[in-house]
Amino acid sequence: MTRSEGSTAPLAGGALPSASRAGVPSPAIVVRDLRKRFGRREALAGLQFSVPEGAVAGFLGPNGAGKTTTLRLLLGLAPADAGEMEILGVGMPAHRTAVLEQVGALVEKPSFLDHFSGFDNLWWFGSLNRPVTRERVMEVLARTGLAEAAGQAFGTYSTGMKQRLGVAYAILHRPRLLILDEPTNGMDPQGRVQMRDLLREIHAAEGATIFLSSHLLDEVQRLCDYVVIVDHGRTVREGYVADILQRGRETWEVRVADGQAERAAALLPSLPGVLACRPGPRGFEISLEPGRSGLVNQALIGAGLTVTALIPKEASLEETFLALTDNGGDPA
Amino acid sequence: MPRFLTLIRFEMVKVLARKKAFLFLLALNVVPLLASIVALLIYLKLKGWGLGGFEFSVLVEMVRGLFIAHMVVFAWISPFFLALVIGDSVSGEAGRGSLKILLLTPVERWQVVVAKAVAVLVFLMLAVALGGFFLQLDLWVARAMTESPAMRWDVKTASTALVETTAALQLFVLSFLSHLALVGFFLVFAQFSESPIMMAFISLIVLMTMQVYVLMAPHLAHLDPRFGQVADWCFTRHLSKLSSIETVQGILDQRLSLWHPDVWQPLRDGLGWAAFFFAVAILLFRRRPILN
Repeated sequence: MTRSEGSTAPLAGGALPSASRAGVPSPAIVVRDLRKRFGRREALAGLQFSVPEGAVAGFLGPNGAGKTTTLRLLLGLAPADAGEMEILGVGMPAHRTAVLEQVGALVEKPSFLDHFSGFDNLWWFGSLNRPVTRERVMEVLARTGLAEAAGQAFGTYSTGMKQRLGVAYAILHRPRLLILDEPTNGMDPQGRVQMRDLLREIHAAEGATIFLSSHLLDEVQRLCDYVVIVDHGRTVREGYVADILQRGRETWEVRVADGQAERAAALLPSLPGVLACRPGPRGFEISLEPGRSGLVNQALIGAGLTVTALIPKEASLEETFLALTDNGGDPA
Repeated sequence: MPRFLTLIRFEMVKVLARKKAFLFLLALNVVPLLASIVALLIYLKLKGWGLGGFEFSVLVEMVRGLFIAHMVVFAWISPFFLALVIGDSVSGEAGRGSLKILLLTPVERWQVVVAKAVAVLVFLMLAVALGGFFLQLDLWVARAMTESPAMRWDVKTASTALVETTAALQLFVLSFLSHLALVGFFLVFAQFSESPIMMAFISLIVLMTMQVYVLMAPHLAHLDPRFGQVADWCFTRHLSKLSSIETVQGILDQRLSLWHPDVWQPLRDGLGWAAFFFAVAILLFRRRPILN
């Protein structure tokens, strides 16, 4: 049981006196000191983070970092050992039903009833929240590209179709908060793009806060404006993507004339502002302190080298992620 | 409340969508129904050919015998059905993951346990009532045909009611209440497993062991009366008493009623066990982590 059971804050307001900061949107999700053990293994070791209301937030971490466990605890599927959780301003799991009325969720693989059709699954499970109409069910099926498979048994769906139905179910009641666990898992590239567009559309049209875990870092970077990165059951970084990426370094690709590579390799690491230099596919990739690229160019020319190209590389979440998590090779 | 009712309806639809449910319905009803049809046909044919045949009251006796057998056989096979269907509905759904989707909707966990119990009990009652209704229908048809002018013969006056209405209602209520404890028992076992087959297997072994002990206890009690005292704590003892031929026959003949001590006492104890099992099942389910 968590310590949040006494919380009686109103759900509708969404305001959290303890966590609100001036000028910052009030949080849709707040997690404080969350702990969970499975036998000897500590899945969550004092996790904390908050997701601002209205954000599209990514939840990143290596395999076994505790992402799915966190989502399970947040949604009341399993009890936490300690810690506090608040969703839309009220405590979980004390106000579980009130929270779930306003939250659309997909946790791990969606496992609806195999012998029911996609339509029947949405209709029955959806009716357990509040009454739904046939039109609304067909609308979400159409939006997730499942209109033609509506009457087909769920057991015959492909992995990607099952995933779409999971997302369709999550958005059925126009929730204030969408919690999605790897929503594009098993989808083809086209499906991923459609899903991204769909989530953007829902966010823009309905103003829903979206909190999604994903192992596709470029996807998160394209979709999310906020990220929470976890590792070993702890938060290692959280904030707006723009803030996280700008901090620290820029990456540039430097190409020099043929035969000058060795001299350039010797010179580059010693130049002021260069944080790292590694051979790239057609030259070198250097990490720089922000705003130093011109000086590097000058220094190379000054040393008699012919710089054939100096190309800025877009800062990627992947680099930040790899730097922050120690099992960086596998960001899933 | 509407949400709870929707949940119950949903659980009923799920029970009806299971092949196991239809197999059970068939297994329970096919023998009494076929036998009663044969008896009815023979009765009508013999009458129709003017061969005299057997009296209407004999047909009533035969159908009544089938009815008692139907009730007793029902109590005998229902545990197997309950173990399979509750195993599927709780352990199976937990294993397959659809329980997770259910618990991501704003329904209370206790409502899930109760809805599953209600759905399976309603099906069980419909299944047993179907046989009873069909047997009664048999007698009505026989009576109507006998009385029709086309068949021109004297009707021996005999009761057309298979069961007096009050007796029928009492048997129905008795079946329902005595099955509550069984449903609760299986619901408790379903909390520990994500495999419906394992759950059904283990719970039936426990149930059968208990019943074997209950049957052995009178003999063992000769050695030491404490064996008999232990048997008093086996809930299957109360259930077998309630579904015995003597009890069913007694209620049919209106010698017994729900308020008779021979019926009321085991019923009260059975209901006590039902309350205990349901409380344990709900408590366990509220704390059950859903990891699939």
